[in-house]
Amino acid sequence: MLFNLHLIALGLYGVAAALALQAFAGGRSTARPLALAVPSAGAAFHVAGVAQLALVGVAPALSMLALFLVLLQLVSERVFRASAVALFTAPLATGLVGLALLLGLAPGAEPLRGGNAWLISHITLSVLGLALLALAFIAAALYLLQFRELKAKRFGPVFLSFPPLERLDSLNRSALVAGFPALTAGVLLAVGYTVRFAGGIHVDKAQVVWGLFTWLVVGAAVWLRVVRHWAGRRAAVASIAAFAAVLLVYLALKLSAPGAERFL
Amino acid sequence: MSITVVGVNHRTAPLAVRERFAHAPHEVSASLARVLSVGAEGGVLLSTCNRTEFYLSAAQDAAPAAVSALLADRLGTGQPAAGYTYTHRDRAAVRHLYRVSAGLDSMILGESQIQGQVRDAWELSRAQAGPVLHRLFQSALLVGSRVRSETTLGAGTASAPSAAVELAGKIFGTLKGKAALILGAGDTAELAATCLRAEGVQVTVVANRSIDRARAVAERHGASALTLDDAWEQFAAVDIVLCSTAAPHTVVTWAHVAGPIGRRGGRQLCILDLAVPRDVDTAVGQLENVFLYDIDDLQAVAAHGAAQRRAEIPKAEDIVEQEVATFWTWHDGLAVVPVIKEFRSRLDAVRAAELERTLKHLGHLSLEDRAQIERFSQSLLNKFLHEPTRALKAAAENGRGYALLEAVRRLFGFGSDA
Repeated sequence: MLFNLHLIALGLYGVAAALALQAFAGGRSTARPLALAVPSAGAAFHVAGVAQLALVGVAPALSMLALFLVLLQLVSERVFRASAVALFTAPLATGLVGLALLLGLAPGAEPLRGGNAWLISHITLSVLGLALLALAFIAAALYLLQFRELKAKRFGPVFLSFPPLERLDSLNRSALVAGFPALTAGVLLAVGYTVRFAGGIHVDKAQVVWGLFTWLVVGAAVWLRVVRHWAGRRAAVASIAAFAAVLLVYLALKLSAPGAERFL
Repeated sequence: MSITVVGVNHRTAPLAVRERFAHAPHEVSASLARVLSVGAEGGVLLSTCNRTEFYLSAAQDAAPAAVSALLADRLGTGQPAAGYTYTHRDRAAVRHLYRVSAGLDSMILGESQIQGQVRDAWELSRAQAGPVLHRLFQSALLVGSRVRSETTLGAGTASAPSAAVELAGKIFGTLKGKAALILGAGDTAELAATCLRAEGVQVTVVANRSIDRARAVAERHGASALTLDDAWEQFAAVDIVLCSTAAPHTVVTWAHVAGPIGRRGGRQLCILDLAVPRDVDTAVGQLENVFLYDIDDLQAVAAHGAAQRRAEIPKAEDIVEQEVATFWTWHDGLAVVPVIKEFRSRLDAVRAAELERTLKHLGHLSLEDRAQIERFSQSLLNKFLHEPTRALKAAAENGRGYALLEAVRRLFGFGSDA
């Protein structure tokens, strides 16, 4: 059942990705109801699948990250009318669900004990924070592409199908500002969980390092945007640098301290 | 009487060339006079940002070359202008003007601004136009109106200012609450200001070389008025700058913008240069967060909205063809009139001579009888001429007037100048 639900979600995300790419290639938007309905249906199946997952291990984390990306894609489309976000999120979600299915969606090796709610909340909020960081990255990338096209006076598919610069800047800012509290809560829950339920689950140093590093990087990005009032191209470059740093550190830690059954 | 158009447009010449060919209103009369002096009865000069076209009636063979020479002088590079020009004659020339007026030949398909520009050109050249071009331009305006009312060719983003608004929207998203500075106080600037206000933009400042004209436009838009020299600091505050001055040279330089842009805190500035010649130095576009677009860029922006309007082209072309036929019927009729007049005049002279000769031999007739005979001769002539006159007019209306006229000329030995 768990596998089938993910498989259906994978198929629908694939269709959503194809629709997004087709709309981009055609230089115009897909019919909005269709652009919302297909990923929404995928997300509905995906939610049902994720609800059955034990949230320990790489595969469940990837599945949850994909789900959040699709949900954020729908929010972006609805609130910011930024349908071009789907160009990144839909293929990414498809790939992540596919990878999760390949890795196997069985519960993690380490059983969950007391404090299950803490752990689920910690994982959920942390993955949501990461998804929001990814959304900030996507908005920043779209911004830079649109900026380049507008500067170069090229009025092709990017110009036609990407949202206006200010809207992308606003989406980037909102994603970062929403992502930081989510990550902060995730970190705090992790600390609380470790203190309260010490020994409940094994925690690697690498996990702690990556978690804190991510939190600091997103915090710095938010500080630049909110306190230093960075906006536009400069803020977009900072967001991309932040996302790249988080990804690179993850890969570095993953290679230096592998643990297939855990997130890192 | 032939009709000829010699010109350049956005398809045959780049903006940098077109802006050299563009005529300010005060230059039109002299340029027309120069071309007409070579040999043409009438002329109208249509000069917009996208085209400079000389419409000539009864033009001698040397007239197109005179236009090319005039344009080459304006080019100022010593190179000939002929490489940029096109020439259409008679029906093709009429069709061309009708297509121009309908917006079929515009950079932005179906744009409505061109109709006003055709009207302005006609009025500006009124003294030099002559009756044929008067009629041609009058009918061109009617064709433009007909196309716009009977098709949806002008629907949507069809004018340069509205395309400019769309472009600004790609930078800012919503334009509501954005502040705009308008440089220039002409019709294009005013139309652009109206388009911006319709999108919620607040026109805060109107700047012009003449403060009086700036005040007049500013009052209508609830803005303040400045001279150009006082306007540069506004670049730090506004979001959109719309340039449409009539200046023959660059008005906004890199130095004017570089200082204020540093005080914008990274906010984007959209500069829309609708003027020809361009108002803004192209180097301004290289400044960070400055997006500079000129009139050529608008073509690409509007292209995506043109698909729907393109579907209306066949209908619009049909209207143009109908009207070309109507005009040409009138035009053919023009050639018939002098022939009929001469035809009648010659036969009447024969009648009068023969009557006089006959009456010399009939000296016994009373004055009343003589008058009776004269009325008879006139009536007889009218009856003889009735059918040929009707046939000539009918042939002209059917577009076959020239063949019949030629036959009449040969049969009755009229001069070719009839």
